[in-house]
Formats: sequence, structure tokens, C-alpha cells
Amino acid sequence: MIDELKIKARELLKNKQVDLIIGYQRASDGVLAMPCFVDREEDVDKLIWDVYCVYNLANYLKDYAGQKIGIIAKPCDVRSIVVLLQENQLRRENVYIIGVECSGVIDEKRLRLGAKDIQESATFGVKCKSCKSSTPSICDYLFKDKEKKGKISEDKDEYESVRKLEVRSSLERLKFWEEEFSRCIRCYACRQVCPMCYCPKCVADQAMPAWFSKGANLKGNLSWNLIRAIHLGGRCIDCGECERVCPVGIPLRELNKKIEKDIKELFKYEAGANVEQKPLLASFDKDDPGDWIK
Amino acid sequence: MKENKEDREPKIVGFLCNWCSYAGADLAGTSRIEYPPNIRIIRVPCSGRVNPLFVLKCLMDGADGVLISGCHIGDCHYSEGNFYARRRFAILKRLLEYLGIDSRRFQMSWVSASEGDKWSKLIKELVQEIKQAGPNKSNDKKHD
Repeated sequence: MIDELKIKARELLKNKQVDLIIGYQRASDGVLAMPCFVDREEDVDKLIWDVYCVYNLANYLKDYAGQKIGIIAKPCDVRSIVVLLQENQLRRENVYIIGVECSGVIDEKRLRLGAKDIQESATFGVKCKSCKSSTPSICDYLFKDKEKKGKISEDKDEYESVRKLEVRSSLERLKFWEEEFSRCIRCYACRQVCPMCYCPKCVADQAMPAWFSKGANLKGNLSWNLIRAIHLGGRCIDCGECERVCPVGIPLRELNKKIEKDIKELFKYEAGANVEQKPLLASFDKDDPGDWIK
Repeated sequence: MKENKEDREPKIVGFLCNWCSYAGADLAGTSRIEYPPNIRIIRVPCSGRVNPLFVLKCLMDGADGVLISGCHIGDCHYSEGNFYARRRFAILKRLLEYLGIDSRRFQMSWVSASEGDKWSKLIKELVQEIKQAGPNKSNDKKHD
């Protein structure tokens, strides 16, 4: 089964269709997966694809601008590639998307906490439970998973937790977020792992002007997390990597999902859905809601 | 030091577009229409020039409220700057609210160069609302 993927990868390298293939390989612990970069035919055998392949590899594409890259991408990863294409960060002809059918990947933290059976849906990432498609929207080659278990999506309201927070009082919300943000150590792992955070100089690193405090104090933390979310408005495709890597467990997806929900309501826009579409904040509609403006 | 909520004079930062709102506020002044002095005006070329970071920095550095004011839709000097601003800040407003920051603290308005009256009325209302919202908590020591 995986051989099909390897044959394709070998063929791409052999025909010089791509210079490099970004995929997954088994980590040294023999269980989890890690990213792997294959530029020689003999290394193709390292490639794997299974429920442990959680990383969004689109993050690496920006490091290889101008080169022809083959990338193994899940449906969510493909959405981030779509955003990069929309924003002219990539050329379509330079990226060969090997799409994989995906019925959810595991949640390492849950697994570590003792879930017994990896097929048990409790071990899957929370993002996977609200995922609507198991097939990538665009790809050059589709790797079909014959053992696919089908969607693990629970068809629940994907904004349930956002709504729950929304109905609480303003003070309760402030308290909730202050508690969460007070733990932030400003390691910027959320930024580093995000395929959409590609600014050569991040506002958080700017000194002239310094937009907010660099220290891990509440004010600076609140500013950083708010700005990170705002800068992803209309761009975040909910790959959930930021929340996954957060060492102090800040529920960053609750921020991203909130914006996702708002832009769906306000502008009927969905990030990463269509390459032809202009980015949300680089376009406008004459009939955008304006009733909140005096 | 205890202050009565209503007595305390709030500080409001206003980002006004050069072509409409700034001229509108100026008209209010030259027409001798009174409005509260709580607003500190920063002139920007267009409401589309305003970055969410500006708003955030004001709120974090002690302003009790922020107002962005620009030309009416369709009247933008640069044709479409205020369309972009409208989209951008609709998202910010909702997010601030979600984080538990009083939504009255961040407001937007369209004021044309001939609307001195509207400007004065707007600021009176704004100051009232922000007085009700109380002092901005980000000034508290625990936040530093």
C-alpha cells in the first residue's frame, strides 16, 4: 500500500520532476513520525504515511522557494498550501502536491495520557473531529488509502466550544483568557510552526516601534496572542499545529476558530478553500456588514 | 485613591482620516460646536491606514477607548480604503469582545467633512459610553 507512494516518489525524483520530496519518516522511538526530506531515490524507502503523521509540512515550503518540491499533504495541509498560493508565496508549478486521503491523525498528548487503542476516536486530534473532508481539495497525485476507516468527524457543531465561551459574561471571558495567557512563556512556538507565519520580521521581534512588551507579562502576552490571531484572520485553515506545540497548553484554536466563525458569518469566507479567490483582507465587498459602525 | 466611575475623565484616542473625519472635527471646532476634550486625535491618511496594532497599543498603554473614523462608504479619497478598514476591524471588534475587553472601548464611525454636528454628537455619546465602561483595566499593576 505504502509502496504505491514510494513508487510515485521515486518516479518524481527520477524524472527530475521535483528536486526534493517532503514527507514523513518513522521517528527514532519507532512509534511517532517525523518530517523527512528526500532528494535521492535510495532514500525513498524511508517514507511512511499513517495516523502518526500529524505535522503540517507546508511550513517547510517557504524554506525552498524557487525549487521544485514534492510534498505529502493531508487535506488540512493542502488548505494551507492553497492560502500560500493565494498570497503568492508559492508558484503552483513549483509544488507537486502528493495528496493523501486522511481519516484523522492522532493527538500525541492524549496518547501519552494513556489512551489504549489508537483507533479509538478519543486519541484523534480535536481538529480531526470537525474535519469535513478526507480528500485534499487540490493535488497532483492522490494517494488513496485502501484501509481507510472513513471520516472520523463526529458531525458536531465545530464551533461548540467557541459558542460556549461567547455566552459567558465579559468578565468571565476576560478572566478565562487572562488565566490562559498568564502561562504564556513567549517561546513563539505557535509562530514557528505556523505555515502562514512567514513574515521576514515578525511584529513581536520589532524594536522600532516596539508594538508590545517582549517580556512574558500579562499585557505583552495578551497582545501577542491577540495579534497572532488577528494576523491569521481569514488565513488560518485550522491545522491546529499552534495548539499542538504550545508547551503550556493555551487553547489557541479557540481564538482561531472564533475568527473563522466570524468571517464565515460576516463575509461568507472560508480560508484555504479556493486558489482563485483573493485573500479575505486583501479584498472587500461593497455590501460587507457595517451596522456596527456609527 | 477612589474615584467615582462617572467622574473620571476617560482618555480616548481617535484615528481620523485626513480627508473626511479630520476635516469634520475641524469644522466642529471652527463652527464653535462644543464637544468633550477627552479625545486625542491622531491624523492618518485614511481609515484603511490604521493597523489593528495601533488599536491594541492604545488599549494596552492606557487609553480607555479607541475610535477610528473615516469617510462614508463610497466617499473614500482613495476610493476603497474604508472598505478594507471595515472588514479588518469588524474582525478585531468581535475578537476583542471575545477576549472580554468591553466592546464599547473600540468603535468606528463615518464622519464626513461637513458633519461637524455629527462629530460633536458622536464624541459626546462615546465619552458617555466609555465612562460607563469604566477605567481600562490594563493599567492595573498586575498586568505588568
